[in-house]
Amino acid sequence: MLKRYLLENKEAHYRMALSYTKNKEDALDVIQDSIEKALRAIRQNVLPQNLNAWFYKILIRTAIDHVRKRKDLVSMEQEEMEFLVKHEDHYAQFDLATAMARLPNAYKTILVLRFFEDLKITDIAEVLGENVNTVKTRLYKALELLKLEMREEAYE
Amino acid sequence: MNKIEDIKRIYDDTEIPGELESRVKRSIRCAGRKSYARRLGQSALAAAAAVLIFAGLVNASPKLAMAMADLPVIGPMVRVLAYRFQAIDNDQVHAHVETPVIDGLKNDALQANLNEKYFEENKALYDEFTKDMEAIMEEGGHMGVDAGYVIKTDTPELLSIGRYVVNTVGSSSTVFHYDTIDKVNEVLITLPSLFKDEQYIQRISEYVLHKMTADMEADENKIYWIKEDDIEPFQTIKADQAFYITGNHTLVISFDKYEVAPGYMGIAEFEIPSEEIRDLLVSDQYIR
Repeated sequence: MLKRYLLENKEAHYRMALSYTKNKEDALDVIQDSIEKALRAIRQNVLPQNLNAWFYKILIRTAIDHVRKRKDLVSMEQEEMEFLVKHEDHYAQFDLATAMARLPNAYKTILVLRFFEDLKITDIAEVLGENVNTVKTRLYKALELLKLEMREEAYE
Repeated sequence: MNKIEDIKRIYDDTEIPGELESRVKRSIRCAGRKSYARRLGQSALAAAAAVLIFAGLVNASPKLAMAMADLPVIGPMVRVLAYRFQAIDNDQVHAHVETPVIDGLKNDALQANLNEKYFEENKALYDEFTKDMEAIMEEGGHMGVDAGYVIKTDTPELLSIGRYVVNTVGSSSTVFHYDTIDKVNEVLITLPSLFKDEQYIQRISEYVLHKMTADMEADENKIYWIKEDDIEPFQTIKADQAFYITGNHTLVISFDKYEVAPGYMGIAEFEIPSEEIRDLLVSDQYIR
């Protein structure tokens, strides 16, 4: 069951990993490590109730660890901060694809999990180890940064 | 206003590499049998993050690599770049062969010799593999080769670089070769060159044997082949045994997988306390 899930969702997992690692080889390494961790965990315990949320938690932590090991994290966080500061005022030259690509992970991940993976806000909070209000605030911010139409049901 | 659907379309446009499927399948199949090479790869990654960034560049543009070499640098700047052979990755076979390229030594002959050796060895390995691969692809079966390098030490004085080859056919074997370079004097350091005479062979062997025995007593999971009834018990190191020098100026003796212990023990490394060999050293320049 887990194996089938992994095979069927590999593209989505890859995209998520890539948004952290920014390069193909590292993203593939992250996928591989995550699968190993997941299968090892499964052998010791029963299958988690929400497989998708559970695996994303592993995937995202592995990706963050991986990036940290590459010692790029500090500079990336720096970039993210700069992006937030600079681009808030520059809606005029707004290009959606660029904005999406440059959206900080903390925001993009929430957007992806909420709309493409259809996770509930509470699940996302669990995946990211953040509280529900932080997740809501970031989601709101992400929608605003990307000038997305607001939909009330998004915050459920 | 933009729509969520637009975002999804952009996100879904992310290019998916062809090897994703085989990597996922391989990971599922191999989970739990984490090979030494993989763990090694990770530590190498951490240690040589900067090198890996260069690695992509060298392959991407030889011109860029050359341009970088022309940049003015302060003090001796020796660094290691990488050349990657075309990766092979499918359900049956995989080959990842990465070759170090030393750059920045003023001793051109030494640098060229080492780089040529590294390249030729890996090219031979890669050619051999691609030849065997055809047979495997036709007859079925699995095989793989991972070759690469780890920087064991990189201080202003010393560069110790270890190149490994992991062959996977059923189980895997790992072979390590080390080179240690004095960056200041630009010479290659060999094991015999560190010592006044050949007494070091016996002295180091005795220490290693002593350490193996102690390790086995302390941990019953550890096994070294040192008993007389073992098939080829370890008795003595080779005069040119694999070694490297740490950043703390100590000597580390290395044995390949299966050289002195069963496969699960992996590579066996022994750090030799400097006081054990001090009186035999030519000088305390490298080992203190």
